[in-house]
Amino acid sequence: MTIATRHSATVSGAPEGAPAMVFAHGFGCDQSMWRLVAPAFEDAYRVVLFDHVGAGGSDLSAYDPDRHSSLDGYAADVVELLDELALGPVVFVGHSVSAMIGLLAAARRPEFFDRLVLVGPSPRYIDDDGYRGGFSADEIDELLETMDSNYLGWSEFIAPVIMGNPERPKLGEELTNAFCRTDPAIAKRFARTTFLSDNRADLAAVRTPSLVVQCREDVIAPIEVGRYVHDHLTDSEFCLIDAVGHCPNLSAPEALTTAMREYLSP
Amino acid sequence: MTPPGRARSWDTAPVALLRLDGAGAIIDANDTFRAWLDDATALDLRGTRLSSLLSVGGRIYWETHLAPLLRLQDRVEEIAVELRTPGGRRQVLLSAERHGGADPADVVIDVALFDARERSRYERELLAARAEAERSATSVRTLLTTTTALARAAGVEGVCDALVRAAVEEFRAQSAWVWLVDATGAPVLRAQSGGEPPPGEVTTALAAAIRDGGAAGGSSGRARRGTGPAGDEVELTPEGHVVVPLRGAHALHGVLVLVQRAHAGDEGLDRGALAAAGQQGGVALDRAVLHEQSISVAHELQRAMLTEHLPQPEGARLSTDYRPAERTLEVGGDWYDAFWVDDSVLALTVGDIVGHGLKSATAMGQLRTVVRSHAESGVGPAQVLARVDRFVQRHNVGFGSTLVYAELDVATGRLEFACAGHPPPLVTRADGEATFLWTGRWMPLGVASRPVRPPTAVVADASGRHVTGPEGEPSGQGSVELGWGDVLWLYTDGMVERHDRPLLTGLDELAQAALGTAGALAGELVSSLLGDGLNEYDDACVLRVERD
Repeated sequence: MTIATRHSATVSGAPEGAPAMVFAHGFGCDQSMWRLVAPAFEDAYRVVLFDHVGAGGSDLSAYDPDRHSSLDGYAADVVELLDELALGPVVFVGHSVSAMIGLLAAARRPEFFDRLVLVGPSPRYIDDDGYRGGFSADEIDELLETMDSNYLGWSEFIAPVIMGNPERPKLGEELTNAFCRTDPAIAKRFARTTFLSDNRADLAAVRTPSLVVQCREDVIAPIEVGRYVHDHLTDSEFCLIDAVGHCPNLSAPEALTTAMREYLSP
Repeated sequence: MTPPGRARSWDTAPVALLRLDGAGAIIDANDTFRAWLDDATALDLRGTRLSSLLSVGGRIYWETHLAPLLRLQDRVEEIAVELRTPGGRRQVLLSAERHGGADPADVVIDVALFDARERSRYERELLAARAEAERSATSVRTLLTTTTALARAAGVEGVCDALVRAAVEEFRAQSAWVWLVDATGAPVLRAQSGGEPPPGEVTTALAAAIRDGGAAGGSSGRARRGTGPAGDEVELTPEGHVVVPLRGAHALHGVLVLVQRAHAGDEGLDRGALAAAGQQGGVALDRAVLHEQSISVAHELQRAMLTEHLPQPEGARLSTDYRPAERTLEVGGDWYDAFWVDDSVLALTVGDIVGHGLKSATAMGQLRTVVRSHAESGVGPAQVLARVDRFVQRHNVGFGSTLVYAELDVATGRLEFACAGHPPPLVTRADGEATFLWTGRWMPLGVASRPVRPPTAVVADASGRHVTGPEGEPSGQGSVELGWGDVLWLYTDGMVERHDRPLLTGLDELAQAALGTAGALAGELVSSLLGDGLNEYDDACVLRVERD
C-alpha cells in the first residue's frame, strides 16, 4: 500500500509542474471539509486532499497508538506523504490541529514546504501560567465524554457510502454522516492528542513563511491564541477574517479563499 | 407571546424547538425550551448562540463536528449533548436541519431537543461498564505479557531486564530503571531502558525509599501484599518518578522506577496493573535468586569434580576442556576423570548425566565415585561398566546417562574400552588417519545392562572411518593399539550433536577438526569446532590423550 492510499490522497487541478497546495483537515472531520475552498485553487495549483489516519477513507489499520499519541506522529505521516508525492515545496493549508501538524512537519523537513496557511491554529488548548488557551483539562474530559455518548450513532457510518447514484431512492438518508466519517475509538484518542498537546516550544523552530488565518469569533481557537501563534512564528502574517465559528472553510469559504489569494499573490 | 403565524402547538410541543440563524445564534425558541432554561433568561435568548448554552464538551463538539456536518449535509440527528440550565445539566438529544437559499442571510437551522436524562443516565452506566471492561481487558493483556516475559527471564539480570522492558513497551514509560538492594542495603542499578538514570539526588531519595520500604517490608512484606488496592503500593515522587516496589516473600528486593512519557494521546498510567507487575517481579526475583544460588552451588560442585589435577604420566600427555551451555548458564551434566588403576594402566572417563543443575551435579559426583571404586586392576572396562550400570539401576541415580570408560596401558599403548550410549572414542593417527571406535557398546546406564551392536547407519557407512567390529554377538568391550604420536579423544555429544544436521556429519566434522589441530591441548579442538563463544544449548567436554 502506498502512503497516498493510506491517506486516501487525491491530486487534482493544474497540470504537472504547477505548484502544489496540500489541504489538511482538522479534528472532527475529513478532507470533505475543504470542498468549498479547494476548487478555487485548482486552476493555478496541483491540489492535494488527504485524510489523517483514522478519518475519512484512510487506512484504519495504519493507526498506531504509539506513533499517533503525539502530533509528531501525524507530522511524520505528512512528511511521508509529501516525500512520496514529490510535488516540490508545497503550500500547506492546515485547519485547526492540522495547522500545528503542518508546523511540526515544516520544522522537521523545511525543504518540503514553500508556505504555510494556518487556519485557526492553537499550540495549546489548555490554560497555563500566563497563557490562555481557552480550556481547562477537566473541560477536555467533558469533550471525551460527549464523544463517548455519541459513539454508537457514528460507528454505523464507517462503511463507504455510494454517492450520486440516482437509482437509489434513499440517497438523502444514506448521505447522513457520509462526510467527516471517523473511527470512534481513534477519534477519541485523536481528541486527546489534539487537545492535550503543548507545542508552544515548537513554534520557534519553524522557518517557513506562514499566514495565520483567524476567525472573528472562534471558541476553539480565540483571537488571542491566533495572535500568540503569529507573535511566535518568524516570518508570519496575521489575517482576521469576518467569520464566526471554528470552520471558516465551511462557514466563510469566500473570506478564507480571498485571504489566501492575497497572501499567496506575488 | 406566540409570534403571529406560529402554531400554538409549536410552543407546547413536548420537545424543545429552536430556530437558529446560519451562524448558530437563536432567532426563536419555544416555551418548552424557555421553561428548561427558566423564565428569567428566556427574554435574553435572542442572539445567544446555542453552542454557548451547551457544556464545554458539547460546545467543542458542536464546533468541530456538528457545525461542519450541518454545512456539508444540512442535517444531524440524535446527537447527545448537555444543556447548561440554572437547575443543572440537562442531557438532551439534538436533531437539526439546515434550510436556506443562496443568500446566507436566508439560512435558518431548525433544532429539536429531546429530554434524555433517564436514557442518558442508563447509557452512561452502560458506557462506564464498557469502559471499565475495556480497561480491565487492557490491564489483563498488559499483565499477561509482563508475567510471560518474567517467567521466561533467566536469572536476576534477566528479570530486571524484563521489568524495564515491560515498563517501556507495555506501560509506555519514557524510561525505566531497576535498583536492587545489595548485601549492605545499598541500591545498585541493575537494568535500564529508554535513558540514563536520574541524577544523584534522585537516586539518594530512592535509596531512602528503599531503606524505608525495606524496613517496613522486612517482616511484614508478606502481610502488605494484597492489603488495600494494589495501586497504593505505587508511589509518585515530587520529581515525577513512579516508584514500584519489588517485594519478595521475605524482603524488598528493590524498586522499579519509571518516568511517564509526555505524549498527549496516552491514557493515564495503569497503576493497578503496574503494582501487580511489581508483585510479579518480586516473585520472579525470589525465584531467580534461589535459582542462582542453586546454580552457584552446582557450579562449585562441578568445579570441584573437574578441576582436580590430572595424572601426567611418562609416555602420555593429557589435557581437557569443558564449555558450559550458553542459554541456560546452568550446570550441565558433562564430566571427565582420569586416574591410575595400577602402575601402568590409566583409567579415562567422560560422561554425560541427563538433566541440569544441582540434581545432576550430585548425580555426577556419585557416578564418578562409583566408577573410581569399581575400577580395579584386572576387572576390565566391560565389567566396570556393568557394575556402574547395576548401581544406577539399584539406586536410581543418573538413569539414562551415558559414559565411556577406557583403560590405557601407557607402557604398551594398548587401549581397552566400553561405551554406554556415549559417542564413540576417536583415534587420530600420526599418519593422518581418523577412526571412530564403535565396538564395546552398551545401552545408556540403567536402561538395559547388555552389550549392543553399533547403529545400522554407522555399520552401513562406507567411508572407512567407522570401526564397527565383526558381525555377531557384541562383546561389550573394544580394544585398539595406540602408537607413538597417536591421539585418543573422548568427548560428549555437545561436540557433535546439533538439531540441524545428522550425527554422522557432526562426527565427520569432529574428525576433520581433530586432525587439523596442531597443538596438544583439548581446548584447541573445542575452539576450532565451537568457536570461542559458548555452546548454544548443550555443554561440551573433551579429554585428549596423546602417546609421546
